[in-house]
Amino acid sequence: MAGAGVFVLLVVVYPLWQVLFRSFLDAGVLSLKSYQKVFSYPSYYRALLNSVWISCATAALCMVLGTLLAFLVVRTDLPGKTSLRTLLVLPYALPSFFAAIAWIQLLGPQGYLARLLLQVFGSAAVPWNLYSAGGIVFVLTVHYFILVFITVAGALERMDASLEEAARASGAGTYRIMREITLPLVLPAIVAGGLLAFIGALANFGIPALLGMRARFFVLTTSVYYALAIPDFGLATALSSMLVLVALISMALQFGIQKGESRYTVISGKAVHPAELKLGASRYPLFLFTVALVVCISIIPVLSMVLTALMKYWGAPLTAANLTLQNFTYVLKLETAQRAVTNSLFLGAVAATAAMFVGTLISYLHVKAKLKGSRVLDFLATIPYAVPHTVIAIAMILAWAKPPVSLYGTLWIILVAYLAVYLPFAVRTTNSTLQQVHDSLEEAARASGAKIFPRLRDIVLPLARPGMIAGWILVFMPALRELTVSILLYAHHTETIGVVVYNLQDAGYREIAAALAALVMALLIAGNMVIRKLTGGVAGF
Amino acid sequence: MNRRPRKLSLTLLAVCGMLALTSAVVLAQAKSPSSVLLYTSVPQQLATQFADAFMKKRPDIKVEIYRAGSTEVGAKIAAEREVGGIRADLLWLADAPIYYDLRKRGELLGYISPEAKAIPADLKDPKGFFTGGRLINMIIAVNTEVTPLKDAPKSWKDFPDHGKKAVMGNPLYSGSNFVTVAAFVQKDGWGWFERARARGVAIVRGNSEAATALAGKEFGIAMTLDYIVAGLIKKGAPLAIVWPSEGAISVPSPIAIIKGTKNPDGSKAFVDYVLSKEGQEFLVKQEVIPVRDDVKPPPGQPSAKKIKFLPIPYEWAADNAPAIREKFEKLMLQ
Repeated sequence: MAGAGVFVLLVVVYPLWQVLFRSFLDAGVLSLKSYQKVFSYPSYYRALLNSVWISCATAALCMVLGTLLAFLVVRTDLPGKTSLRTLLVLPYALPSFFAAIAWIQLLGPQGYLARLLLQVFGSAAVPWNLYSAGGIVFVLTVHYFILVFITVAGALERMDASLEEAARASGAGTYRIMREITLPLVLPAIVAGGLLAFIGALANFGIPALLGMRARFFVLTTSVYYALAIPDFGLATALSSMLVLVALISMALQFGIQKGESRYTVISGKAVHPAELKLGASRYPLFLFTVALVVCISIIPVLSMVLTALMKYWGAPLTAANLTLQNFTYVLKLETAQRAVTNSLFLGAVAATAAMFVGTLISYLHVKAKLKGSRVLDFLATIPYAVPHTVIAIAMILAWAKPPVSLYGTLWIILVAYLAVYLPFAVRTTNSTLQQVHDSLEEAARASGAKIFPRLRDIVLPLARPGMIAGWILVFMPALRELTVSILLYAHHTETIGVVVYNLQDAGYREIAAALAALVMALLIAGNMVIRKLTGGVAGF
Repeated sequence: MNRRPRKLSLTLLAVCGMLALTSAVVLAQAKSPSSVLLYTSVPQQLATQFADAFMKKRPDIKVEIYRAGSTEVGAKIAAEREVGGIRADLLWLADAPIYYDLRKRGELLGYISPEAKAIPADLKDPKGFFTGGRLINMIIAVNTEVTPLKDAPKSWKDFPDHGKKAVMGNPLYSGSNFVTVAAFVQKDGWGWFERARARGVAIVRGNSEAATALAGKEFGIAMTLDYIVAGLIKKGAPLAIVWPSEGAISVPSPIAIIKGTKNPDGSKAFVDYVLSKEGQEFLVKQEVIPVRDDVKPPPGQPSAKKIKFLPIPYEWAADNAPAIREKFEKLMLQ
């Protein structure tokens, strides 16, 4: 407990405090001027409202889509479900501004689809507008539904089959079993995933920045960026505090929903896997539906990125003469790119491992050991998820760039920042995992005289492992492409993949940036295959 | 079940190995006294190749580069100021107003380079706090497949008439757009922007987004930077550059030395190289218009002397920055 406490203090509380108290300063004097600005300027409070409704809509859609797909892929006899699962997780490895660009290329006013419509109907006007609030919700949903999908898929896998079987034996129909048994059992996971999607959408910058500007639609994160450009530190931090406040309220709501926690715990650990649901006549229609979804949300954006990587310049007509491999050879020879891949692999692996370790510890203390004060720890560890990454980066400079402990300019400051950014993922995913492991198992072990360490090793960890591996991947993938934190903290020789992609993109080398992103994607697919091979299909997606 | 813990410990071992390896790399990179740290928004490739060329000439000085957008560099500097001062030795941004702010705070080192003689007076600070290092120009770019060149606007005045077919970058994000807005406003007030808003001129984040959206045929004309467009033209995009009749907005992209530098000699040597004939000739190869009169511009581009400039009220812009940004936001973005 003390160890976890110190960790959270150093990685989360101290740096964020460095930022927070500056939001109450005006030229060195204590003042509420920045907050006054937030509530007296229509553009700022409108941004706050926009952020809230955009995130609510995104979370709701993510919960529906993520749960539905997790159910189809985990519990039914859908054909080809293993490959479908891998493909669904894939686009999460795309930096969010790349996802936005991919959708602009596809659905934008001059996108591939608009050009197709022009040829078929002779009119280039597409009936929708991607540069709008609706467009932002759409792309955010496609980007974040995976958070619900992964948590729910994990929960469905660990679910005890006996309850369903009992219901079936008593003559309940499939639909009724799903509605009255399965759905309530995985509800904590759905809500936990929904919360992750909500806060993720709230804190996302890349997508609203690219899609919102032309619609003159602003959210809190884009306003924070403006405030930094002015630069008005106080205003930026005051706006960020608003973001944290919204996130805290949503977390409090989640705590409220899950008050009766024991309702959801499921004795697991038996080697009985839930029965595969036979889809029967709807098997192929549902298969086609899932394939169509996978094509839309995974294959097309990735393909559009690969296509860009093969182009001489972005927007070139699609002819063979404009296709080239030179972007790939350029990236492979680029020294910074090679270094960035090494750095990001290192940062991602260490951040994911350490965050999962501490996250599991905090979750265990809170969910299982129910120690006093552990709820506060759990709460504090979740806050950074709602803080815009730029603000986290600034917090790290303020906290860890001055002697005696100066990590500035090294990989370590980026690592500390990643730990802060991804600890919430670890805590939230293991929380829902551990909630499903019924206390009685540990109590039985305790009654038989097992001490805490053997109990953890022999009972809790084995049961929580699939959830933990899923959580590890949830941290590793975004860490591999992280941009916003790294761009402020990187130094000579500590570039990350995100930084290199951004700097290429920003200089107008969109096709070279796409080539690098495509190579990273290939790396992830290969890594995933190795993990699956090594663990015999237990881990990986 | 028994095999898995072994896999886990193997993974842990691998992670520890990587950790040790990387920490060794980090330790080996402790900053040496002969190195200079450059913060820049100059495109990555250009900055790296330029620094390499300099280091070939001066192998005793090592140039380390931190490259990000102007806003990120600004935020980094602001955060560093709070914790013991700016870490960079050199600053080379497109964002001119920040230099006036730094000068006011007394954070720049005055250095009149012997090379600065060949640079026109309006591109440098009289006391040598900063000197124009490359000339980037805000111009009108045209996608000739969307808007034929004969229909394209010849002046800034006609730009807003193209309404939804026209695009510009956001001055709240980009420094060069900010000075453009300041120049327009100081000359003619806000009328131009009111017209642009009424006709539906689109606002995107920055100049490279405006240029790529233009190349992607989303727009017919764009207010953007000449060297980005020249780069796209070189790759085959159907774009053209129009030099507006009122004059282009030329941002001298100044280079400056931070007062707290631990390596003033190395920093000065780099500034000299940037301003030297050799340095400017190197930039010309990357489609950049030179600041010196005695260096030929890239083919197809005018020389600094031939370009008609719209004067930029830097001091006024720096003093009124918050008000200008606020007014722009109210007028164009709400």
